[in-house]
Amino acid sequence: MEKEKKDAPNQELSFVTGGEVNIRQDPWWWLVVVVIAIVLLLVMLQPVPFKDIIVFAKDGILVTVLVTVVSYFLMLILGLFGGLGRLSNNKLVFGISSLYVEVVRGIPLLVQLIGWYFASPVIIQKLGLWTGIEALIQYRANPIITAIMAITVCYGAYMSEIVRSGISSVPRGQMEAARSLGMSYFQAMRYVILPQAFRVILPPMGNEFIALLKDSSLVSVVAVADLTRRGREFMSAHFNPIETWLMVALLYLIMTLIAARVVSYIEKRSKYER
Amino acid sequence: MSEPIIKIEDVHKHFGRIEALRGVNLNVAEREVVVVIGPSGSGKSTMLRCINRLEEYDKGSIVVNGIDLNNPHNINAVRSEVGMVFQNFNLFPHLKVIDNLTLAQRIIRKREKEEAFEIGMQLLNKVGIPEKADVFPGQLSGGQQQRVAIARALAMNPKIMLFDEPTSALDPEMIKEVLDVMAQLAKEGMTMIVVSHEMGFARAAADRIIFMDEGVIVEENTPELFFTSPTQKRTKDFLGKVLQI
Repeated sequence: MEKEKKDAPNQELSFVTGGEVNIRQDPWWWLVVVVIAIVLLLVMLQPVPFKDIIVFAKDGILVTVLVTVVSYFLMLILGLFGGLGRLSNNKLVFGISSLYVEVVRGIPLLVQLIGWYFASPVIIQKLGLWTGIEALIQYRANPIITAIMAITVCYGAYMSEIVRSGISSVPRGQMEAARSLGMSYFQAMRYVILPQAFRVILPPMGNEFIALLKDSSLVSVVAVADLTRRGREFMSAHFNPIETWLMVALLYLIMTLIAARVVSYIEKRSKYER
Repeated sequence: MSEPIIKIEDVHKHFGRIEALRGVNLNVAEREVVVVIGPSGSGKSTMLRCINRLEEYDKGSIVVNGIDLNNPHNINAVRSEVGMVFQNFNLFPHLKVIDNLTLAQRIIRKREKEEAFEIGMQLLNKVGIPEKADVFPGQLSGGQQQRVAIARALAMNPKIMLFDEPTSALDPEMIKEVLDVMAQLAKEGMTMIVVSHEMGFARAAADRIIFMDEGVIVEENTPELFFTSPTQKRTKDFLGKVLQI
């Protein structure tokens, strides 16, 4: 008994340096296992629609993952600069980043996607006719690139606000201490402020990833053959909406549940005593 | 007497409508220990923070180690020569103690990892807690944190150390361990400006005591004369209140 009590605080401290997180410590991994098991069960018991759907939608899954991961990393970079801009003392930088956040945040992602895909090529072509530049006249929107761009711009606005709040949460004394040691503003950001802000914004960052993964289904309206679009194609061909959308929903669920677990794992590893 | 290492001339500073400094003049010689006392809101901390330009002043001039602070390009050069210790320690909580000590050495002084580590460990020895090198600041007591903060500033080999109420956030039993480190530094000949309410430390370690009130230096003197025969009424009133306790 005595010994157990003494060991207890040490176990907690092991989190500080990054303890191992496994299924036993994070029971939500079981949910992932259960959902995957349901999918496997359906595939084995009823291969006719269910296995066919997976085979048919396989490249759709890859497109969904690609669009999600690429736009996620691009929007992190955009959000970092947006957030720093929102905290800038320079009025012009502050004004531009605030305008960006306020405007983009207020327009639905679906409207932005359709706008980028259908409207922006027309504008660019008109611009080409005006200036006589052949390359602009010939411009055609690439669905995947346009989709990634639209999602990046939209989510970058949300991310800017997350980054801003994270940096604001770090006490002012941290910047002062770093500057008083002779660090420049960017060195202080890089080595002192952002690592601390990162820990604060990790949960909302994880949320954004999951939200982005789900919102990536919107790209199916601009001719990107993602999981949702492949599902719709399959349904039209085989007239089995129940099986198709059950399977598509389960596939999305597997991806989001895994993402959520990874986020929680990183969160636990990045803990330290304050 | 040689050229002063810090020259403050007619410095003014206001926050909004409040005048924090209204014409401060102060010269500090090399190896001198100056303790600044005064009621809260008298501008002591503001003056200190102007010396490494954490606070920008509106008027006047400050020259530190021959570098004119009116020229903003010199800020980082000045700051790496001037160590600063804060009331709230401001250690970097995401870094281990030893990494707190080596970070600026490596990115500003461009020292190799091993060299920075050696210097860091020497300084931890000096402040008496080498065994805490591998823990995070949050696991240390206030007194230990402040000693690490002093070591972190010393790791940059500063010519001047500024202390902004270094013991005000500490529990009473931890004040001595921090003051001992500071007294040791003073004995070794470090140029120091200390804003503090520790009258005992001021009496023992200071070469000169400065009393500030309402944004100006009211009186300055050697510790003996300052405490035994203050000339200004405001100084007498202040000492009367502080020393009664």
